[in-house]
Amino acid sequence: MTITQEVQTDAPRPAPIIEVRNAAKRFSVNGQSLTVFDGVSCAIPQGAFLSIVGPSGCGKSTLLKLISGLEAPSGGEILFNGAKVTGPAQGMIYVFQQYTKSIFPWRTVIQNIEFGLNSHKKKLSRSARADLCRHYVKLVGLEGYENYFPYQLSGGMQQRVVIARALICEPAVLLMDEPFSAVDALTRAILQELLLKIWQTIPVTILFVTHDVEEAVFLSSRIISLSKSPAKIHEDVAIDLPYPRDQIATRADERFHELRQQLFASIFLQEKGGAPGASPSVKA
Amino acid sequence: MKKRWPGFLLIVVLLLAWEFASANRMIDPITFPRVSVIFAAWMKAVAGTGELTRQLMPSMGRIFAGFSLAALVAVPLGLLMGTIPMVYRLLEPITEFIRPIPSSAYIPVAILFLGIGNEMKIFVIFLACMFPILLNTYGGVRGVDPVLIDTGRTFGLSRVKSLWRIILPAALPNILTGMRISLGIALIVAVVAEMITGNSGIGYFILDMQRIFRVPEMFAGIFTLGLLGFLINFAFLRVEGHFLRWRGASVET
Repeated sequence: MTITQEVQTDAPRPAPIIEVRNAAKRFSVNGQSLTVFDGVSCAIPQGAFLSIVGPSGCGKSTLLKLISGLEAPSGGEILFNGAKVTGPAQGMIYVFQQYTKSIFPWRTVIQNIEFGLNSHKKKLSRSARADLCRHYVKLVGLEGYENYFPYQLSGGMQQRVVIARALICEPAVLLMDEPFSAVDALTRAILQELLLKIWQTIPVTILFVTHDVEEAVFLSSRIISLSKSPAKIHEDVAIDLPYPRDQIATRADERFHELRQQLFASIFLQEKGGAPGASPSVKA
Repeated sequence: MKKRWPGFLLIVVLLLAWEFASANRMIDPITFPRVSVIFAAWMKAVAGTGELTRQLMPSMGRIFAGFSLAALVAVPLGLLMGTIPMVYRLLEPITEFIRPIPSSAYIPVAILFLGIGNEMKIFVIFLACMFPILLNTYGGVRGVDPVLIDTGRTFGLSRVKSLWRIILPAALPNILTGMRISLGIALIVAVVAEMITGNSGIGYFILDMQRIFRVPEMFAGIFTLGLLGFLINFAFLRVEGHFLRWRGASVET
Protein backbone atom coordinates (compact mmCIF):
# COMPACT_ATOMS: atom_id res chain seq x y z
CA MET A 1 0.00 0.00 0.00
CA THR A 2 2.77 2.32 0.99
CA ILE A 3 4.81 4.18 -1.52
CA THR A 4 7.75 5.88 0.09
CA GLN A 5 10.21 7.44 -2.24
CA GLU A 6 13.34 8.29 -0.39
CA VAL A 7 14.83 11.68 -1.00
CA GLN A 8 17.86 11.55 -3.19
CA THR A 9 20.61 13.54 -1.57
CA ASP A 10 24.35 13.10 -1.61
CA ALA A 11 24.86 14.53 1.87
CA PRO A 12 24.98 12.05 4.77
CA ARG A 13 21.48 11.79 6.08
CA PRO A 14 21.02 12.66 9.79
CA ALA A 15 19.08 10.27 11.97
CA PRO A 16 15.33 10.83 11.64
CA ILE A 17 13.81 12.82 14.46
CA ILE A 18 10.36 11.48 13.63
CA GLU A 19 9.46 8.14 12.16
CA VAL A 20 5.99 7.17 11.10
CA ARG A 21 5.62 3.42 10.80
CA ASN A 22 2.57 1.97 9.11
CA ALA A 23 0.32 4.53 10.74
CA ALA A 24 -3.40 4.03 10.31
CA LYS A 25 -6.39 6.11 11.38
CA ARG A 26 -9.96 4.98 11.30
CA PHE A 27 -13.00 6.92 12.47
CA SER A 28 -16.44 5.67 13.19
CA VAL A 29 -18.94 7.87 11.40
CA ASN A 30 -22.64 7.04 11.80
CA GLY A 31 -21.72 3.51 12.75
CA GLN A 32 -19.58 3.09 9.65
CA SER A 33 -15.87 2.64 9.94
CA LEU A 34 -14.03 5.17 7.82
CA THR A 35 -10.39 4.76 6.97
CA VAL A 36 -8.58 8.09 6.68
CA PHE A 37 -5.32 6.35 5.89
CA ASP A 38 -3.68 3.02 6.42
CA GLY A 39 -0.04 2.05 6.24
CA VAL A 40 1.55 5.47 5.98
CA SER A 41 5.28 5.43 6.64
CA CYS A 42 7.88 8.14 6.43
CA ALA A 43 11.01 9.33 8.18
CA ILE A 44 11.62 12.99 8.89
CA PRO A 45 15.25 14.04 9.29
CA GLN A 46 16.30 16.46 11.96
CA GLY A 47 16.26 20.07 10.89
CA ALA A 48 13.98 19.55 7.91
CA PHE A 49 11.27 21.90 6.81
CA LEU A 50 8.84 19.34 5.55
CA SER A 51 5.47 20.19 4.11
CA ILE A 52 2.59 17.80 3.75
CA VAL A 53 0.29 18.78 0.92
CA GLY A 54 -2.83 17.22 -0.44
CA PRO A 55 -6.49 17.92 -1.15
CA SER A 56 -8.64 19.02 1.76
CA GLY A 57 -10.01 16.09 3.70
CA CYS A 58 -7.16 13.78 2.69
CA GLY A 59 -6.08 13.35 6.29
CA LYS A 60 -2.99 15.53 6.42
CA SER A 61 -4.14 17.29 9.58
CA THR A 62 -4.98 13.93 11.08
CA LEU A 63 -1.48 12.67 10.31
CA LEU A 64 -0.05 15.73 12.03
CA LYS A 65 -2.29 15.14 15.08
CA LEU A 66 -1.06 11.55 15.31
CA ILE A 67 2.56 12.66 15.16
CA SER A 68 1.91 15.24 17.90
CA GLY A 69 0.40 12.61 20.16
CA LEU A 70 -2.82 14.61 20.54
CA GLU A 71 -4.59 11.71 18.86
CA ALA A 72 -3.68 8.05 18.99
CA PRO A 73 -3.23 6.06 15.77
CA SER A 74 -5.58 3.14 15.11
CA GLY A 75 -2.63 1.13 13.92
CA GLY A 76 1.11 1.42 13.50
CA GLU A 77 3.32 3.68 15.56
CA ILE A 78 5.04 7.04 15.69
CA LEU A 79 8.59 7.40 16.97
CA PHE A 80 9.98 10.69 18.23
CA ASN A 81 13.73 10.61 18.85
CA GLY A 82 13.45 6.84 18.76
CA ALA A 83 10.79 6.66 21.49
CA LYS A 84 7.21 5.67 20.84
CA VAL A 85 4.74 8.56 21.05
CA THR A 86 1.91 7.76 23.46
CA GLY A 87 0.64 11.24 24.22
CA PRO A 88 1.59 14.88 23.74
CA ALA A 89 5.37 14.66 23.90
CA GLN A 90 7.61 17.31 25.33
CA GLY A 91 9.65 18.85 22.57
CA MET A 92 6.83 18.81 20.02
CA ILE A 93 4.41 21.71 19.81
CA TYR A 94 1.30 21.69 17.67
CA VAL A 95 0.24 24.99 16.14
CA PHE A 96 -3.46 24.91 15.37
CA GLN A 97 -5.06 26.11 12.19
CA GLN A 98 -7.70 27.99 14.18
CA TYR A 99 -5.37 30.40 15.93
CA THR A 100 -8.31 32.51 17.13
CA LYS A 101 -9.46 29.48 19.10
CA SER A 102 -6.01 28.51 20.26
CA ILE A 103 -4.93 31.88 21.65
CA PHE A 104 -5.96 32.51 25.27
CA PRO A 105 -8.29 35.50 25.07
CA TRP A 106 -7.95 36.30 28.78
CA ARG A 107 -4.18 36.60 28.56
CA THR A 108 -2.30 39.54 27.14
CA VAL A 109 0.23 39.10 24.36
CA ILE A 110 3.10 38.68 26.79
CA GLN A 111 1.10 36.37 29.06
CA ASN A 112 0.11 34.22 26.09
CA ILE A 113 3.73 33.91 25.05
CA GLU A 114 4.79 33.16 28.60
CA PHE A 115 2.36 30.26 28.67
CA GLY A 116 4.70 28.42 26.30
CA LEU A 117 7.30 28.28 29.07
CA ASN A 118 5.13 25.61 30.71
CA SER A 119 6.67 23.19 28.32
CA HIS A 120 10.22 24.43 28.71
CA LYS A 121 12.88 21.86 29.52
CA LYS A 122 14.46 23.92 32.27
CA LYS A 123 13.12 25.58 35.40
CA LEU A 124 13.71 29.25 34.87
CA SER A 125 14.01 32.16 37.24
CA ARG A 126 11.51 34.97 37.11
CA SER A 127 13.91 37.32 35.37
CA ALA A 128 15.04 34.66 32.90
CA ARG A 129 11.40 34.08 32.00
CA ALA A 130 10.81 37.78 31.50
CA ASP A 131 13.93 38.06 29.34
CA LEU A 132 12.87 35.14 27.17
CA CYS A 133 9.40 36.59 26.75
CA ARG A 134 10.83 39.90 25.64
CA HIS A 135 13.16 38.15 23.24
CA TYR A 136 10.34 36.26 21.54
CA VAL A 137 8.08 39.29 21.45
CA LYS A 138 10.85 40.97 19.51
CA LEU A 139 11.49 37.94 17.32
CA VAL A 140 7.94 37.96 16.01
CA GLY A 141 7.83 41.74 15.85
CA LEU A 142 5.25 42.49 18.51
CA GLU A 143 7.14 45.10 20.52
CA GLY A 144 4.80 47.69 21.90
CA TYR A 145 1.88 45.24 21.94
CA GLU A 146 2.95 43.28 25.02
CA ASN A 147 -0.03 44.27 27.12
CA TYR A 148 -2.68 44.06 24.44
CA PHE A 149 -5.43 41.48 24.70
CA PRO A 150 -6.04 39.24 21.66
CA TYR A 151 -9.32 40.96 20.78
CA GLN A 152 -7.32 44.14 20.19
CA LEU A 153 -5.06 42.45 17.62
CA SER A 154 -5.41 41.66 13.93
CA GLY A 155 -5.43 38.06 12.74
CA GLY A 156 -1.82 38.21 11.60
CA MET A 157 -0.70 39.56 14.96
CA GLN A 158 -2.62 36.86 16.80
CA GLN A 159 -0.87 34.29 14.63
CA ARG A 160 2.48 35.81 15.59
CA VAL A 161 1.56 35.46 19.25
CA VAL A 162 0.71 31.80 18.72
CA ILE A 163 4.01 31.21 16.91
CA ALA A 164 6.01 32.96 19.63
CA ARG A 165 4.21 30.95 22.29
CA ALA A 166 5.18 27.76 20.46
CA LEU A 167 8.80 28.79 19.93
CA ILE A 168 9.56 30.04 23.42
CA CYS A 169 9.76 26.54 24.85
CA GLU A 170 12.44 25.77 22.25
CA PRO A 171 10.68 22.76 20.74
CA ALA A 172 12.63 20.27 18.68
CA VAL A 173 9.66 19.92 16.36
CA LEU A 174 7.00 22.40 15.37
CA LEU A 175 3.85 20.88 13.91
CA MET A 176 1.95 23.51 11.99
CA ASP A 177 -1.53 22.86 10.63
CA GLU A 178 -2.28 25.33 7.83
CA PRO A 179 -1.18 28.17 10.07
CA PHE A 180 -1.48 30.88 7.45
CA SER A 181 -4.66 29.79 5.68
CA ALA A 182 -6.84 32.32 7.47
CA VAL A 183 -4.78 35.48 7.05
CA ASP A 184 -4.69 37.79 4.06
CA ALA A 185 -2.18 37.24 1.26
CA LEU A 186 0.24 40.00 2.23
CA THR A 187 0.30 39.02 5.91
CA ARG A 188 0.81 35.44 4.81
CA ALA A 189 3.84 36.40 2.73
CA ILE A 190 5.32 38.28 5.69
CA LEU A 191 4.65 35.45 8.11
CA GLN A 192 6.16 32.92 5.67
CA GLU A 193 9.40 34.88 5.57
CA LEU A 194 9.35 35.28 9.32
CA LEU A 195 8.91 31.55 9.80
CA LEU A 196 11.78 30.78 7.44
CA LYS A 197 14.00 33.27 9.22
CA ILE A 198 13.22 31.64 12.57
CA TRP A 199 13.75 28.17 11.15
CA GLN A 200 17.17 29.18 9.91
CA THR A 201 18.12 30.85 13.19
CA ILE A 202 17.12 28.15 15.65
CA PRO A 203 17.50 24.37 15.41
CA VAL A 204 13.91 23.33 14.89
CA THR A 205 12.32 20.76 12.62
CA ILE A 206 9.11 22.00 11.07
CA LEU A 207 6.26 19.89 9.79
CA PHE A 208 3.95 22.09 7.86
CA VAL A 209 0.54 21.07 6.59
CA THR A 210 -0.92 23.11 3.76
CA HIS A 211 -3.19 22.72 0.77
CA ASP A 212 -1.28 25.45 -1.03
CA VAL A 213 1.39 23.89 -3.27
CA GLU A 214 3.04 27.24 -3.92
CA GLU A 215 3.39 27.95 -0.22
CA ALA A 216 4.85 24.49 0.32
CA VAL A 217 7.44 24.94 -2.44
CA PHE A 218 8.43 28.35 -1.16
CA LEU A 219 8.96 27.18 2.41
CA SER A 220 10.05 23.58 2.36
CA SER A 221 13.20 21.59 2.01
CA ARG A 222 11.04 18.59 1.26
CA ILE A 223 7.41 18.00 0.35
CA ILE A 224 5.27 14.94 0.84
CA SER A 225 1.99 14.84 -1.01
CA LEU A 226 -0.87 12.70 0.15
CA SER A 227 -3.50 11.23 -2.12
CA LYS A 228 -7.20 11.40 -1.52
CA SER A 229 -8.71 9.44 1.36
CA PRO A 230 -7.84 6.70 2.22
CA ALA A 231 -4.60 8.58 1.89
CA LYS A 232 -1.21 7.27 1.04
CA ILE A 233 2.01 9.02 0.26
CA HIS A 234 1.79 9.94 -3.36
CA GLU A 235 5.01 11.88 -3.82
CA ASP A 236 8.05 12.73 -1.79
CA VAL A 237 10.05 15.51 -3.35
CA ALA A 238 13.19 17.32 -2.22
CA ILE A 239 13.05 21.06 -2.92
CA ASP A 240 16.48 22.11 -4.05
CA LEU A 241 15.95 25.87 -3.96
CA PRO A 242 18.69 27.59 -2.00
CA TYR A 243 18.08 29.19 1.38
CA PRO A 244 17.69 31.95 2.47
CA ARG A 245 14.63 32.35 0.34
CA ASP A 246 13.03 35.62 -0.57
CA GLN A 247 9.42 36.35 -1.47
CA ILE A 248 10.44 38.24 -4.59
CA ALA A 249 13.61 36.57 -5.79
CA THR A 250 12.70 32.96 -4.98
CA ARG A 251 9.27 33.29 -6.51
CA ALA A 252 10.86 34.68 -9.66
CA ASP A 253 13.25 31.74 -9.85
CA GLU A 254 12.63 29.44 -12.78
CA ARG A 255 13.27 26.38 -10.68
CA PHE A 256 10.53 27.54 -8.28
CA HIS A 257 7.98 27.53 -11.10
CA GLU A 258 9.23 24.25 -12.40
CA LEU A 259 8.86 22.55 -9.04
CA ARG A 260 5.49 24.11 -8.36
CA GLN A 261 4.21 23.15 -11.79
CA GLN A 262 5.51 19.63 -11.54
CA LEU A 263 4.06 19.07 -8.11
CA PHE A 264 0.77 20.68 -8.94
CA ALA A 265 0.37 18.64 -12.10
CA SER A 266 1.14 15.45 -10.26
CA ILE A 267 -1.38 16.15 -7.51
CA PHE A 268 -3.99 17.44 -9.90
CA LEU A 269 -3.77 14.47 -12.25
CA GLN A 270 -3.80 12.07 -9.38
CA GLU A 271 -6.90 13.76 -8.00
CA LYS A 272 -8.65 13.83 -11.32
CA GLY A 273 -7.69 10.26 -12.08
CA GLY A 274 -9.44 8.98 -8.98
CA ALA A 275 -13.17 8.69 -9.62
CA PRO A 276 -14.66 11.79 -7.98
CA GLY A 277 -16.73 10.97 -4.94
CA ALA A 278 -15.85 7.28 -5.15
CA SER A 279 -14.19 7.30 -1.78
CA PRO A 280 -15.78 9.23 1.02
CA SER A 281 -13.60 11.89 2.51
CA VAL A 282 -13.69 13.21 5.99
CA LYS A 283 -12.62 16.61 7.24
CA ALA A 284 -10.11 15.79 9.87
CA MET B 1 -24.24 56.77 31.58
CA LYS B 2 -25.07 59.55 29.14
CA LYS B 3 -27.71 57.58 27.27
CA ARG B 4 -29.52 56.48 30.40
CA TRP B 5 -31.03 59.80 31.41
CA PRO B 6 -34.39 59.21 29.65
CA GLY B 7 -34.89 56.13 31.83
CA PHE B 8 -34.20 58.06 35.01
CA LEU B 9 -36.40 60.87 33.79
CA LEU B 10 -39.27 58.42 33.38
CA ILE B 11 -38.87 57.32 37.00
CA VAL B 12 -39.02 60.93 38.14
CA VAL B 13 -42.11 61.57 35.99
CA LEU B 14 -43.88 58.50 37.40
CA LEU B 15 -43.05 59.51 40.97
CA LEU B 16 -44.36 63.00 40.31
CA ALA B 17 -47.55 61.55 38.82
CA TRP B 18 -47.94 59.39 41.91
CA GLU B 19 -47.41 62.42 44.14
CA PHE B 20 -49.97 64.42 42.21
CA ALA B 21 -52.57 61.61 42.05
CA SER B 22 -52.27 60.90 45.74
CA ALA B 23 -52.40 64.56 46.75
CA ASN B 24 -55.56 65.03 44.67
CA ARG B 25 -57.13 61.81 45.93
CA MET B 26 -57.21 60.24 42.47
CA ILE B 27 -55.70 57.22 44.22
CA ASP B 28 -56.37 56.31 47.83
CA PRO B 29 -53.84 58.33 49.83
CA ILE B 30 -53.99 55.83 52.67
CA THR B 31 -52.96 52.84 50.54
CA PHE B 32 -50.72 54.98 48.33
CA PRO B 33 -49.35 57.85 50.42
CA ARG B 34 -47.76 60.77 48.63
CA VAL B 35 -44.21 60.12 47.49
CA SER B 36 -43.03 63.06 49.57
CA VAL B 37 -44.54 61.44 52.65
CA ILE B 38 -42.87 58.14 51.82
CA PHE B 39 -39.58 59.92 51.24
CA ALA B 40 -39.86 61.72 54.59
CA ALA B 41 -40.61 58.40 56.29
CA TRP B 42 -37.68 56.84 54.48
CA MET B 43 -35.30 59.61 55.58
CA LYS B 44 -36.48 59.23 59.13
CA ALA B 45 -36.22 55.45 59.13
CA VAL B 46 -32.78 55.54 57.61
CA ALA B 47 -31.14 58.61 59.11
CA GLY B 48 -33.40 59.44 62.07
CA THR B 49 -34.50 56.42 64.04
CA GLY B 50 -32.36 54.07 61.99
CA GLU B 51 -35.01 51.34 62.20
CA LEU B 52 -34.69 50.60 58.49
CA THR B 53 -30.89 50.68 58.45
CA ARG B 54 -30.87 48.23 61.33
CA GLN B 55 -32.97 45.79 59.32
CA LEU B 56 -30.87 46.18 56.21
CA MET B 57 -27.75 44.68 57.73
CA PRO B 58 -29.19 41.27 58.71
CA SER B 59 -30.66 40.84 55.23
CA MET B 60 -27.42 41.72 53.50
CA GLY B 61 -25.47 39.45 55.80
CA ARG B 62 -27.74 36.51 54.96
CA ILE B 63 -27.63 37.21 51.26
CA PHE B 64 -23.85 37.45 51.32
CA ALA B 65 -23.43 34.29 53.41
CA GLY B 66 -25.87 32.19 51.38
CA PHE B 67 -24.52 33.41 48.06
CA SER B 68 -20.88 32.90 49.01
CA LEU B 69 -21.52 29.38 50.25
CA ALA B 70 -23.39 28.60 47.06
CA ALA B 71 -20.54 29.92 44.91
CA LEU B 72 -17.99 27.95 46.92
CA VAL B 73 -19.90 24.72 46.39
CA ALA B 74 -21.38 25.23 42.94
CA VAL B 75 -18.30 26.39 41.04
CA PRO B 76 -16.08 23.38 41.93
CA LEU B 77 -19.02 21.03 41.50
CA GLY B 78 -19.84 22.54 38.11
CA LEU B 79 -16.22 22.23 37.03
CA LEU B 80 -16.23 18.55 37.98
CA MET B 81 -19.56 17.94 36.26
CA GLY B 82 -18.29 19.65 33.14
CA THR B 83 -15.01 17.77 32.96
CA ILE B 84 -15.72 14.30 34.33
CA PRO B 85 -18.56 12.54 32.47
CA MET B 86 -19.12 10.13 35.37
CA VAL B 87 -19.80 12.98 37.81
CA TYR B 88 -22.12 14.58 35.28
CA ARG B 89 -24.11 11.39 34.80
CA LEU B 90 -24.30 10.95 38.56
CA LEU B 91 -25.49 14.45 39.44
CA GLU B 92 -27.39 15.61 36.38
CA PRO B 93 -30.71 13.84 37.16
CA ILE B 94 -30.86 15.03 40.74
CA THR B 95 -30.00 18.56 39.66
CA GLU B 96 -32.74 18.55 37.08
CA PHE B 97 -35.20 17.29 39.67
CA ILE B 98 -34.43 19.77 42.44
CA ARG B 99 -33.87 22.75 40.18
CA PRO B 100 -37.49 23.41 39.11
CA ILE B 101 -38.78 23.45 42.69
CA PRO B 102 -39.28 27.11 43.70
CA SER B 103 -36.80 27.81 46.45
CA SER B 104 -39.49 29.28 48.71
CA ALA B 105 -41.01 25.81 48.83
CA TYR B 106 -38.00 24.57 50.80
CA ILE B 107 -38.69 27.02 53.60
CA PRO B 108 -41.16 24.80 55.51
CA VAL B 109 -38.73 21.86 55.30
CA ALA B 110 -35.81 24.04 56.29
CA ILE B 111 -37.75 25.29 59.32
CA LEU B 112 -38.22 21.68 60.46
CA PHE B 113 -34.49 21.05 60.25
CA LEU B 114 -32.95 24.34 61.15
CA GLY B 115 -35.59 26.28 63.06
CA ILE B 116 -36.54 29.82 62.26
CA GLY B 117 -33.19 31.49 62.83
CA ASN B 118 -30.43 32.68 60.60
CA GLU B 119 -29.23 29.19 59.66
CA MET B 120 -32.52 28.37 57.98
CA LYS B 121 -32.54 31.58 55.97
CA ILE B 122 -28.94 31.23 54.90
CA PHE B 123 -29.60 27.62 53.93
CA VAL B 124 -32.57 28.53 51.77
CA ILE B 125 -30.65 31.35 50.09
CA PHE B 126 -27.73 28.97 49.55
CA LEU B 127 -29.97 26.40 47.91
CA ALA B 128 -31.62 28.99 45.68
CA CYS B 129 -28.26 30.40 44.58
CA MET B 130 -26.73 26.98 43.91
CA PHE B 131 -28.51 26.06 40.72
CA PRO B 132 -27.97 29.09 38.53
CA ILE B 133 -24.25 29.00 39.37
CA LEU B 134 -24.00 25.23 38.96
CA LEU B 135 -25.85 25.15 35.65
CA ASN B 136 -23.94 28.04 34.18
CA THR B 137 -20.62 26.66 35.37
CA TYR B 138 -20.98 23.26 33.80
CA GLY B 139 -22.61 24.74 30.75
CA GLY B 140 -19.62 27.03 30.41
CA VAL B 141 -17.15 24.20 30.93
CA ARG B 142 -18.83 22.04 28.31
CA GLY B 143 -18.71 24.95 25.92
CA VAL B 144 -14.94 25.40 26.16
CA ASP B 145 -13.47 24.95 22.70
CA PRO B 146 -11.59 21.63 22.35
CA VAL B 147 -8.83 23.50 20.50
CA LEU B 148 -8.14 25.47 23.68
CA ILE B 149 -7.86 22.29 25.72
CA ASP B 150 -5.66 20.64 23.07
CA THR B 151 -3.46 23.73 23.14
CA GLY B 152 -2.91 23.08 26.83
CA ARG B 153 -2.17 19.43 26.08
CA THR B 154 0.44 20.18 23.45
CA PHE B 155 2.19 22.42 26.00
CA GLY B 156 2.23 19.54 28.45
CA LEU B 157 -0.40 20.81 30.88
CA SER B 158 -1.72 18.19 33.30
CA ARG B 159 -5.47 17.73 33.62
CA VAL B 160 -5.58 19.50 36.96
CA LYS B 161 -3.54 22.42 35.69
CA SER B 162 -5.70 22.58 32.59
CA LEU B 163 -8.78 22.85 34.79
CA TRP B 164 -7.29 25.76 36.65
CA ARG B 165 -5.48 27.58 33.87
CA ILE B 166 -7.68 26.95 30.85
CA ILE B 167 -11.13 25.66 31.69
CA LEU B 168 -11.84 27.97 34.61
CA PRO B 169 -10.90 31.22 32.86
CA ALA B 170 -12.61 30.10 29.64
CA ALA B 171 -15.82 29.34 31.53
CA LEU B 172 -15.59 32.48 33.68
CA PRO B 173 -18.05 34.57 31.64
CA ASN B 174 -20.72 31.90 32.15
CA ILE B 175 -19.86 31.45 35.82
CA LEU B 176 -20.19 35.17 36.46
CA THR B 177 -23.52 35.27 34.62
CA GLY B 178 -24.74 32.47 36.89
CA MET B 179 -23.60 34.42 39.93
CA ARG B 180 -25.40 37.55 38.82
CA ILE B 181 -28.65 35.63 38.34
CA SER B 182 -28.13 34.08 41.77
CA LEU B 183 -27.73 37.43 43.48
CA GLY B 184 -31.11 38.54 42.16
CA ILE B 185 -32.72 35.34 43.39
CA ALA B 186 -30.97 35.65 46.76
CA LEU B 187 -32.69 38.96 47.39
CA ILE B 188 -36.10 37.50 46.59
CA VAL B 189 -35.63 34.42 48.74
CA ALA B 190 -34.22 36.42 51.65
CA VAL B 191 -37.27 38.67 51.70
CA VAL B 192 -39.69 35.75 51.46
CA ALA B 193 -37.92 33.85 54.24
CA GLU B 194 -37.89 36.93 56.45
CA MET B 195 -41.59 37.50 55.85
CA ILE B 196 -42.51 33.95 56.77
CA THR B 197 -40.44 33.73 59.92
CA GLY B 198 -38.21 35.88 62.02
CA ASN B 199 -37.90 39.20 63.66
CA SER B 200 -35.25 40.95 61.63
CA GLY B 201 -34.44 41.84 58.06
CA ILE B 202 -35.95 44.03 55.45
CA GLY B 203 -38.62 41.49 54.54
CA TYR B 204 -39.70 41.39 58.16
CA PHE B 205 -39.67 45.19 58.30
CA ILE B 206 -41.98 45.55 55.29
CA LEU B 207 -44.49 43.03 56.60
CA ASP B 208 -44.34 44.48 60.10
CA MET B 209 -44.99 48.00 58.86
CA GLN B 210 -47.95 46.75 56.84
CA ARG B 211 -49.39 45.01 59.90
CA ILE B 212 -49.17 48.07 62.13
CA PHE B 213 -50.41 50.19 59.26
CA ARG B 214 -47.39 52.43 58.82
CA VAL B 215 -47.89 52.47 55.08
CA PRO B 216 -45.25 55.14 54.23
CA GLU B 217 -42.61 53.09 56.07
CA MET B 218 -43.79 49.96 54.26
CA PHE B 219 -43.22 51.67 50.91
CA ALA B 220 -39.91 53.00 52.15
CA GLY B 221 -38.88 49.40 52.75
CA ILE B 222 -40.00 48.31 49.30
CA PHE B 223 -38.17 51.17 47.61
CA THR B 224 -35.10 50.31 49.63
CA LEU B 225 -35.27 46.81 48.19
CA GLY B 226 -35.40 48.21 44.69
CA LEU B 227 -32.40 50.39 45.41
CA LEU B 228 -30.54 47.53 47.04
CA GLY B 229 -31.13 45.22 44.08
CA PHE B 230 -29.99 47.93 41.71
CA LEU B 231 -26.81 48.58 43.69
CA ILE B 232 -25.96 44.88 44.03
CA ASN B 233 -26.36 44.40 40.31
CA PHE B 234 -24.38 47.52 39.53
CA ALA B 235 -21.55 46.49 41.82
CA PHE B 236 -21.49 43.01 40.34
CA LEU B 237 -21.38 44.34 36.80
CA ARG B 238 -18.31 46.33 37.80
CA VAL B 239 -16.71 43.17 39.17
CA GLU B 240 -17.66 41.32 35.99
CA GLY B 241 -16.28 44.11 33.85
CA HIS B 242 -12.99 43.89 35.68
CA PHE B 243 -12.63 40.12 35.36
CA LEU B 244 -13.81 40.08 31.77
CA ARG B 245 -11.92 43.15 30.57
CA TRP B 246 -10.25 40.87 28.03
CA ARG B 247 -13.56 40.62 26.20
CA GLY B 248 -13.38 44.27 25.32
CA ALA B 249 -16.46 46.23 24.43
CA SER B 250 -18.82 43.29 24.71
CA VAL B 251 -19.27 43.94 28.43
CA GLU B 252 -21.93 46.56 28.92
CA THR B 253 -22.62 48.14 32.27
